[in-house]
Amino acid sequence: MWRRTVGLGFLTAACAVVGLAASAAVSSESLGASTISVPRCTAAGLSVLQNLAAGNVISVTVSGLPAACGGATLQVTVNNGLTNSGGSAAIAAGGGATTVTLALPVAVTASEQTDLVVVGP
Amino acid sequence: MSARWSRLSLIVAFAALLGTTSASAASLSLSSQALTPYRTCTITATPATTTALFDTTVRQGSAASNFGTLTSTNVSSGSAINQRAYLRFDLTTCSPAIPTTAVVRLATLRIYLTAVPAACRTIDVFAATASWTETGITWNNQPFGTAINNPPTASRSGSFTVGTPAGCQNQATGVYLVGGTVTSDVAAFVAGSATNFGWMLRDDTEGSATTRTVTFSSKELATVGQAPQLVVTYVAVP
Repeated sequence: MWRRTVGLGFLTAACAVVGLAASAAVSSESLGASTISVPRCTAAGLSVLQNLAAGNVISVTVSGLPAACGGATLQVTVNNGLTNSGGSAAIAAGGGATTVTLALPVAVTASEQTDLVVVGP
Repeated sequence: MSARWSRLSLIVAFAALLGTTSASAASLSLSSQALTPYRTCTITATPATTTALFDTTVRQGSAASNFGTLTSTNVSSGSAINQRAYLRFDLTTCSPAIPTTAVVRLATLRIYLTAVPAACRTIDVFAATASWTETGITWNNQPFGTAINNPPTASRSGSFTVGTPAGCQNQATGVYLVGGTVTSDVAAFVAGSATNFGWMLRDDTEGSATTRTVTFSSKELATVGQAPQLVVTYVAVP
């Protein structure tokens, strides 16, 4: 009886370990397939405005950031097809608006692409 | 004795299970750094940016004339002298192209105010329903026809208020207006469920006894800092 009980205990523990291995394999597969769901601090529509000087974008103001993004880092890159420039800034604790100054000015053309990534919090 | 060992073995098993669970959670938290990516396309209408970007005014008082080359555009309500603004931005100028599967989070018309009325007026934004050209459109041949207060307010895509009185959304000149949101229209253009013919802006109540006019800078002014813009913020992979 004693041996049977101890055996049952080890068997249960072994099952748990096997279970972990199985879940790790599934997780790894999801990552490889790029299907993992990455948490985000907002899905809101952020307002993105270029701040200009002499026909160049020198900074970007992002507003509409919720408090859930407070403390995160806002990374911005502006690309007009010829020049690519970026910068980053911390988002205030309460969210709101954050202005990121670009390392280099980017000339305004027919269209510019601005990529934003909020990292964290 | 056996009962005590039995309980002990179950505790060991649960401890093992809990241990694996916490280890799994720890590794998940390490790989789950919050990342919130957005991409924005800002289209700016300047004379150098091709003829695919249109802005113009049609005038009831000069119904057969075209005003596509003027350096300003107007929206006006008056007795038989109403004016409407037409704007169109070519979304294909965005590079890289906005994917048809993208989720448009926000799309905003930005136009630069140079004159606002003394009364607070509501300006309606309607998605145009047929093609038009900057140098061909007139009051008489505009997509929405010549009847005033048509299309009805209920079919507008959005609206904003302009005027000097307190409480009006846009009271000052020399700035871009706020409130020109056209997110649902742009989402439909991107998805292909609607054709991008641009937008028409009109006073919500045309035919005012006292003429009320809002004036914007047009691309022909050739001032980048006042050029009309369409700003589209989207998520490529939701």
